[in-house]
Amino acid sequence: MSSRVLIATFDHEDDLLAATTAVRERGLRIMDVYTPYAVHGLDRAMGLKPSRLTWVCFVCGMAGALGMLWFEHWTAAIDWPIDVGGKPWFALPSDAPVAFEAAVLLAGFGTVFALFGVARMWPGKQPRKIYPRTTDDRFVLVIGETNAAFDVQSVEQMLTKYDVLKVEEQLVT
Amino acid sequence: MPQSPSLSAAARRSLSVVSVVSLAILASGLYFAPERAWSNLLAAALFLLTIGLGGTLFLALALITGAGWHVAFRRVPEAMAMIVPLTGGALLVVLALGAQYYAWHPHGDVGTFWFKQFWLTPMFWFARSAAYVIIWSVLGALLVYRSRKQDTAPVNVQQHTGNVRLAAIFLAVYAITFSLASVDWLMALDPMWYSTIWGIYNFAGMMVATLAVIVILCIVLSAPGRPLHGVFTTEHLHDLGKLLLSFSCFWMYIWFSQYMLIWYANIPEETSHFVTRTIGPWGPVVVASLVLNWLAPFFILLPRPSKRSRSVMLRVAVLILVGRWVDVWLMIFPSTLGDTPAFGIWELAAIACVVTAAPLLLARSFASAPPVPVHDPFLPESLHYHA
Repeated sequence: MSSRVLIATFDHEDDLLAATTAVRERGLRIMDVYTPYAVHGLDRAMGLKPSRLTWVCFVCGMAGALGMLWFEHWTAAIDWPIDVGGKPWFALPSDAPVAFEAAVLLAGFGTVFALFGVARMWPGKQPRKIYPRTTDDRFVLVIGETNAAFDVQSVEQMLTKYDVLKVEEQLVT
Repeated sequence: MPQSPSLSAAARRSLSVVSVVSLAILASGLYFAPERAWSNLLAAALFLLTIGLGGTLFLALALITGAGWHVAFRRVPEAMAMIVPLTGGALLVVLALGAQYYAWHPHGDVGTFWFKQFWLTPMFWFARSAAYVIIWSVLGALLVYRSRKQDTAPVNVQQHTGNVRLAAIFLAVYAITFSLASVDWLMALDPMWYSTIWGIYNFAGMMVATLAVIVILCIVLSAPGRPLHGVFTTEHLHDLGKLLLSFSCFWMYIWFSQYMLIWYANIPEETSHFVTRTIGPWGPVVVASLVLNWLAPFFILLPRPSKRSRSVMLRVAVLILVGRWVDVWLMIFPSTLGDTPAFGIWELAAIACVVTAAPLLLARSFASAPPVPVHDPFLPESLHYHA
């Protein structure tokens, strides 16, 4: 499915932030924003919801810690009990470091792969280059033309208030 | 900048009365129950001194890492740094009063190693302690003095470079002297036991408590009508929350590192410390310390909204300070009193003394300078900061 979008290019991060806020407050659909570096406060300007990745991280970490504790218990105390220096079969102090490492490992990998999955990134995927100079010094705001009533002129007029460099329509797939 | 006193005259009066009365009770305790009263005095002085020293440490760390975010509330750690001379002096008085409670004094049992005998000679021990306090006071005062000088004159780059250099000197000196001090004042209570991680364990506890105090002071001082209102924002609180969470984990990490190695090796001269503390009546106190210092703060502070909520952060900070008190208690009391914990008038007096003396001292030093370092080159960055 292809759709028409409006691509607005800016020179300064402050203009972009203000324009993004204005566009969102007007009820237009922000497809995405492209910047050369992470712009602080952009998530709030775009009206993004708080990330759910933190929950993925927490659940993976807990699963790693508890799973490894169970595994250590099973290997050292149930399946093949080993006497280490007269310590109890299942001794929390000696199991904690490995459980900790497993928690960190699973939390780290789980979060990264969940991010890749949600962002639909995989090896060999071609990046969508809306405007190449966003990798250098330009900021781009992409607005979706949601229906036939979308008034390009009035949006363009609104964006000139924020020193927009240029506005162009594009067909994206 | 509106300048209003952070404590009303009535509050100041009642706090002074309570702190003087509780200090008098503790002083009389030196006659009625010398060991317990003295242990409480040591805990109280150490608690206050490490909070002040932590303020200096926070300033130095911020300078050397080129941090700009903290400048809006920098006068808070500066106010903490200014209580070091007084609380350090108090600690020296306590040490002088109680040298006989250190097991090696006057002709105690320190083993036969010549260096240990030389190192724990009472005069050398006390002179060293005084030297630590003097060094920390002077370097802290210099850091605060240079920061306040910026309020009147425009800042130049050389001046800032000088601040960074001073911070570097303080950090190097602090790392060595604080390790030695924690050994001299706390580990020496039980001179036959040793742990090479003791210094960093004390640093971890001190840093968590320091951050908790900074959080409490900043929240109180940024209430409507107070000097930091509108200056100390949710973004600053969020970052302090992250630091609090990570240093709470760091404390747990170091606690466990010390415990696990001793548990694993199981050498009698090393395990004595934990045998006294984890087996028997002190056991539940150790568990309480772990819950207060790490387990509860960890799960409370993990979600982002709780680090941005003033009421949650205030409560967690108080929880952590209670945990720090239990931690200090556990380092001192099993060594001086033995296997049975005791809680009564002397312990209550010590807590009352700390809880009332800290706000008095901190409010006085905070009020002695403009509440915001107006000419600091990083102030605009700090005011527009997004966490």
